Amino acid sequence: MGVLGWVMMGLAIWHFTIWLPDHFWGGIVGAFLGSLVGSIVVGLIIFSVKDSNLAIPGEKATDIGVILYAVPGAIIGMGIVYLIGMRREKTGHQAAPEHI
Amino acid sequence: MTDRRRNSMILLVVALLIGLATVTIIAKKTRLGLDLKGGVQLVYEGRPTAQAKVDGESLNRAIDIMRKRVDQLGVASPEIQRSGEKEIVVQLPEVTNIEKAERQVGKTAQLQFYDWEPNVIGPDGQPAPTESTVTGGREAGGSLFGLPEYKAVLRAEKRPAELRKDDTTWEKGCTPAQAGGCVYGSWYLIDEKNEKMICPGGKATCGPAENEKALYSGVHIPTGAKVRAVRVNPGTVLIQARPTESSQGKVVNRNPNSYYVIKDAPVLNGGDITHPQQGFDEGAGGNGQPNVNFGFTGHGKKVFEEVTKKIAERGQEAQLPGVTKEAAQQHFAVGLDGQLITAPSIDYTRYPEGIDSSNGSEISGGFTIGSAQELAEELQTGALPIKLNLISRSQVSATLGKQALNEGLVALLVGFLVVCLFLVAFYRVLGLIAVGGLLIYGVYFFALIKLIPITLTLPGIAGLILTIGVCADANIVIFERVKEEIRGGRSVVSGIATGYKRGFAAIVDANVVTFMTAFILFALATAEVKGFAFTLGIGTLVSLFTAVLATQAALGAMARTKLVTHPSALGASGEGHRWTFDFMGASRWFFSFSGVILLIGALAIGGKGLNFGIDFKSGTRIETGFVRHVTEGQVADEMTALGFPNAEVQKYTNASVGKNGFQISTKTLKPSKVNDIEKGLQQFQPQHFSSTSIGPTFGKTVAKSAIIAIIASLLVISAYIALRFQWKYSVPVLIALMHDLLITAGVYSLTGREVTTATVAALLTILGYSLYDTIIVFDRVRENVPRMPRAAFSQIVNRSMSEVLTRSLATTFCTLLPVLALLFFGGETLKDFAFALMIGVASGAYSSIFIASPVLTHWKEREPVYRARRARLERESPGGLVPAYATTATGAPEDVEPDAPKGRRRRGRLTAPEEPGQQISRDEFQELVADIQEEETGKGRAPVATKAPPEPEPEPDPEPEAPAERDPSADLTPEDLVLKDKPKPRQKRPRNKRHGRSR
Repeated sequence: MGVLGWVMMGLAIWHFTIWLPDHFWGGIVGAFLGSLVGSIVVGLIIFSVKDSNLAIPGEKATDIGVILYAVPGAIIGMGIVYLIGMRREKTGHQAAPEHI
Repeated sequence: MTDRRRNSMILLVVALLIGLATVTIIAKKTRLGLDLKGGVQLVYEGRPTAQAKVDGESLNRAIDIMRKRVDQLGVASPEIQRSGEKEIVVQLPEVTNIEKAERQVGKTAQLQFYDWEPNVIGPDGQPAPTESTVTGGREAGGSLFGLPEYKAVLRAEKRPAELRKDDTTWEKGCTPAQAGGCVYGSWYLIDEKNEKMICPGGKATCGPAENEKALYSGVHIPTGAKVRAVRVNPGTVLIQARPTESSQGKVVNRNPNSYYVIKDAPVLNGGDITHPQQGFDEGAGGNGQPNVNFGFTGHGKKVFEEVTKKIAERGQEAQLPGVTKEAAQQHFAVGLDGQLITAPSIDYTRYPEGIDSSNGSEISGGFTIGSAQELAEELQTGALPIKLNLISRSQVSATLGKQALNEGLVALLVGFLVVCLFLVAFYRVLGLIAVGGLLIYGVYFFALIKLIPITLTLPGIAGLILTIGVCADANIVIFERVKEEIRGGRSVVSGIATGYKRGFAAIVDANVVTFMTAFILFALATAEVKGFAFTLGIGTLVSLFTAVLATQAALGAMARTKLVTHPSALGASGEGHRWTFDFMGASRWFFSFSGVILLIGALAIGGKGLNFGIDFKSGTRIETGFVRHVTEGQVADEMTALGFPNAEVQKYTNASVGKNGFQISTKTLKPSKVNDIEKGLQQFQPQHFSSTSIGPTFGKTVAKSAIIAIIASLLVISAYIALRFQWKYSVPVLIALMHDLLITAGVYSLTGREVTTATVAALLTILGYSLYDTIIVFDRVRENVPRMPRAAFSQIVNRSMSEVLTRSLATTFCTLLPVLALLFFGGETLKDFAFALMIGVASGAYSSIFIASPVLTHWKEREPVYRARRARLERESPGGLVPAYATTATGAPEDVEPDAPKGRRRRGRLTAPEEPGQQISRDEFQELVADIQEEETGKGRAPVATKAPPEPEPEPDPEPEAPAERDPSADLTPEDLVLKDKPKPRQKRPRNKRHGRSR
C-alpha cells in the first residue's frame, strides 16, 4: 500500500514538470523515471530508518505521513535527471530545448 | 470480382451464419454459472508434499481424483478446473450436502501403513521399540501415551535427515534452506515462552507447513510470545494419536493433542490396496462395528505378509518370562492424512507366519457407518498427490442466482437499447446499419456461448455488455471516417470504400490490444474473472467481423440506392464540427489538473486507504433477507446466542435480498458453522441466504495474479505499440495507462468503495480498453506525419486531435452507455464492476488526449528533425511563436499527399474492397480535368481547398512547394516521416493536391 501511495505521489509531482524548461536527461520521460524511482527509493529509505527495519509499509502502516515520504524523493530524483541533462547540454551531448 | 458481387457474397455468408446461429440457440441449452443458478464454489490451493510438487501434472491428477469423488456425491454438471498456477476451482451446482462435499472433495486421503514399534522415536531421538511409554504398549497409538504437539515437535527436531528414494521433491537444488521451492522436511511455529504451538486461527494444534514462510499465514502471534520456527528434518514425521474413545467405544475426541514422533517409513500406502468398501466387523471376535474392507495389489500382498510375519516374530521374541502375551504383541498401524486410525496387534500365536493377504484386510476403529463409507469412497478414488487447502468457499442460493440473472439480463437489454438509440440519433442511416450489425453480433455471440459452450456467469454478462460498446465503437470509428471522406469531396460510394479502408487499421490495432489483454486476463486471473475475460475476448473477435465486414457489405450494397445517395442521410452534410483548440498549448493545464487529482488520490490512499473486501482480507460474509421486519439488534442477539458475539451485522437493502436484508461478517467459518447460523436465523423467515468464506491466502493469490497480469499486459501492449507504431509511442501509452489505473485507485480510496475481485478484473480491463482512444489518436498522428513534412510535431498532434476528437468522444460516450446500464441495473456484483469501468473508461479517454499525446509531443520534439522545424517556424513567425496549426500561405491546412507505394497492391482476397482511387467523385473528376488543363497551359493553380479552420497565427509560406526551397533541416531522416508500415517516400516534389484527402 505504501508503494502504491509513493508511486501516486511521484506521478502527481511529475505532472508539474510540464511548467519547467525541458533540460531533463531523456526529456519528460526521463523526468518521469526520475520521479518514480526517487519517490520509491527515498520513501523506502525514510520508512526503513524510522522503522529501523528495511520493509515496505503495509496497509496498516501507511498513513498520510508515510505517503509524504515520496515528496523529497520525487524532487531529488527529478533534480538529478535535470542536472544530468544540463551537464549534457553544456558538453554538447544534448541539445538545449525549444519551447513548445 | 465486382464490389456488388463481393458484397452479395458476404451478406449471403452473414445470412447463412445467422441461420446456423439461430438453430444453435434453439437447440442448445445455456450453461449458467453458479452465481446465476445457485450452488457451492470451492477454491483449493495446491501445496507440495515430500512426494509431489505442485505442477500441471500433479494438479491434473488431483482434478481426476476429485472428479471421481464429486461423481460419487451425485452432483449434476459439476465443474472442476485449474485456475492460475496452483489452484483448483470446484463448482457444485444445486448440491444438497455441502458439508460432505467440502469434506470429501479436497481431502488428501493419504493412507499409510506402518510397522509401529520400530518406528516410534523415544526421548533420545532414537527408536525405542521396547519402551511402552513411547510406543503406547497395549494402547499403541492411543492418546494416553502420545506427547502434546509442542513437545513432539521438540523431540522430532533432534532427528537428523533421512532421505527416501521415492521423495521426488528432494531432487537437485532441494536443501535444508528450501531452495527452489522444494519441500525439505516440515515446519512448525512454536511459542517457547508459553510452551505452546502457534497455529492459524488460534487453534491448539495444527499440521505442519511445507516451508517457513507458510507458517505465518493466518496466525496471530500472542503478545510476549517467544516465537521460533522449527524444522523437522525429512525422514521424521509427527502423527496424531487415534481419536479418544470412551469405555463404550464411542469417539469422544477426534483430534486429541497427542502426537507420536515416528520415522517416516510406511511399508504400504493407499496405492497398494484394492476394492475398499464399507463393511462390519463380523469375523471371529468381531464387535459388529462398521469398518472398511479391502484387498491388496500383488506388491501389497507380498509386503503385507512379510511385514506381519516380521511383527509376529518380534512378538515371539518379546515373549519373555513374566511378560503377558498382550504385552508382548507388536502392532501394525494405519494412518490417514497424518492421524492414526487404528493400530491392531498381530497375534503371533495365531499368525506366526504372518497374515494371509489373499482375503484382504480391514481397517476398524471408531467408525460410524457414514464415516466408514466416506473413507471407503476416498480410498476407492485414491489419494490426492498433493495437499489441498480450501482458500475460498461461496454459496449462492438458487433464488438469489435467478435474481442476479434477471438483473444482468435487464442491464444487457438496457445497454443494448441505449447504444442503438445513440447510434441511430447520431449517424441516421449509418446508425441503422450499425444497429443491424449489433443485432447480428448479439445472435452470433449468443450462439457461440451455447456452442463452445461458455458457462455464463455474472462477470461474463458484464463482458458481453462491454463488448456491445466495443462493437459500436468500431462502427463509430469507421463511420466518422466515412463522413470525413464524403465531406472531403468524395462521392458517397467512394467515401464508404475509403472510410472502411482507412479506418480498418485503427480498429484492428485497438481490438488486438483489447483481445490481448483479455487473453492475458484469461490465462492468469482467478476463476471468477476468467468468465469475463473469455466473453470479452470472443466478443472482440466477433465484433470485428460484424462491425467491419458485415456492415461494410450492407452499406456497400445500399450505396447506390436512394437511401444513402445524399450525404445528409449519413450525417455527412455540411462541413461538420471542426475543433480548433490548441490541445498541446493547453496541455500544461490539463497536466496540472491530473497532477492535482493524483495528489488528492495519493493523500486519500494515505488517509483512508483502500476498503478491501473479504476477497482480500479473509472471513465469512453472509447475505440474507427476511420476509418480515427484523432489527439489527435482533439479528445481532441471535448471532451472540449462536456463539458469534463479534459478528458484524449491517442492514443491507437491495433488489436481491429485499427490504429486510442483512449482511453478517465474521471471521472465516467452517460450513457446519454457517449451517448453524442458517438454522438459527430460520425464526426470522429468511427468503434468501448466501454465504462466502475466504481463507487468508486467497486474497494474496488474487493480488499476485493481478500484478502478474498487469505486468504481462503492459509488456505485451508496449511490444505491440512499438511494432505497429514506433517504440517512442509505447512509452506515453504506458504512462497514460498508469495514470488511469492510479486515478481509479484514488477514486476508490476517496469514495470508500469496496475493492473486490471484480474491481481487479475491471482494472485489468481498463488496461486494454483505455488504449482504444489513444490508438485512434496515434493512428491519425502516424497518418499525418508524412502529410505535414514542414510542421512541428505539436502542430501534427494538434491537427490529429482536431480530426479525431469527435469520434474519440463518441466512442467514449458509447462505451459509457452500457457501463452506466450495468451500474444502474446490474445488481450488486455488476455495480462494483461497472463503477471501476466507468472511472477507467472516462480516465482513459481523458489521458489519451491530455496525457499520452502531450508526452509523445514533448518527447518527439526533442528529436533533431522536429527541433529544426520548430526553430525554423519560430524564426519565420513574427512573434517568435509557433502557431498551433500548420497552414500554407493561403491559410489552408498544410497537407501533402504522400507518395503511393510502388506498384499496386494485388487484390488477392475475394472480399478485399476496391481501391478507393478507382471510384472518384465529381469534384475529383473536375480536379483531374483542371490538372490536365494546367499541364496544357503551364499555369499554376490554387489547391482545391475546403474551408480551412481558423488559425490564430497563419504561417507565412515563403517556400511553398519546391524541394529546392525547402528547409534542408526540415526532413532530415525519412524514418521520422514514414513509420514502419508506411512505404518509403520517393525523392520527388510533393504535390499539394488533396485528392480524396479529408480535412
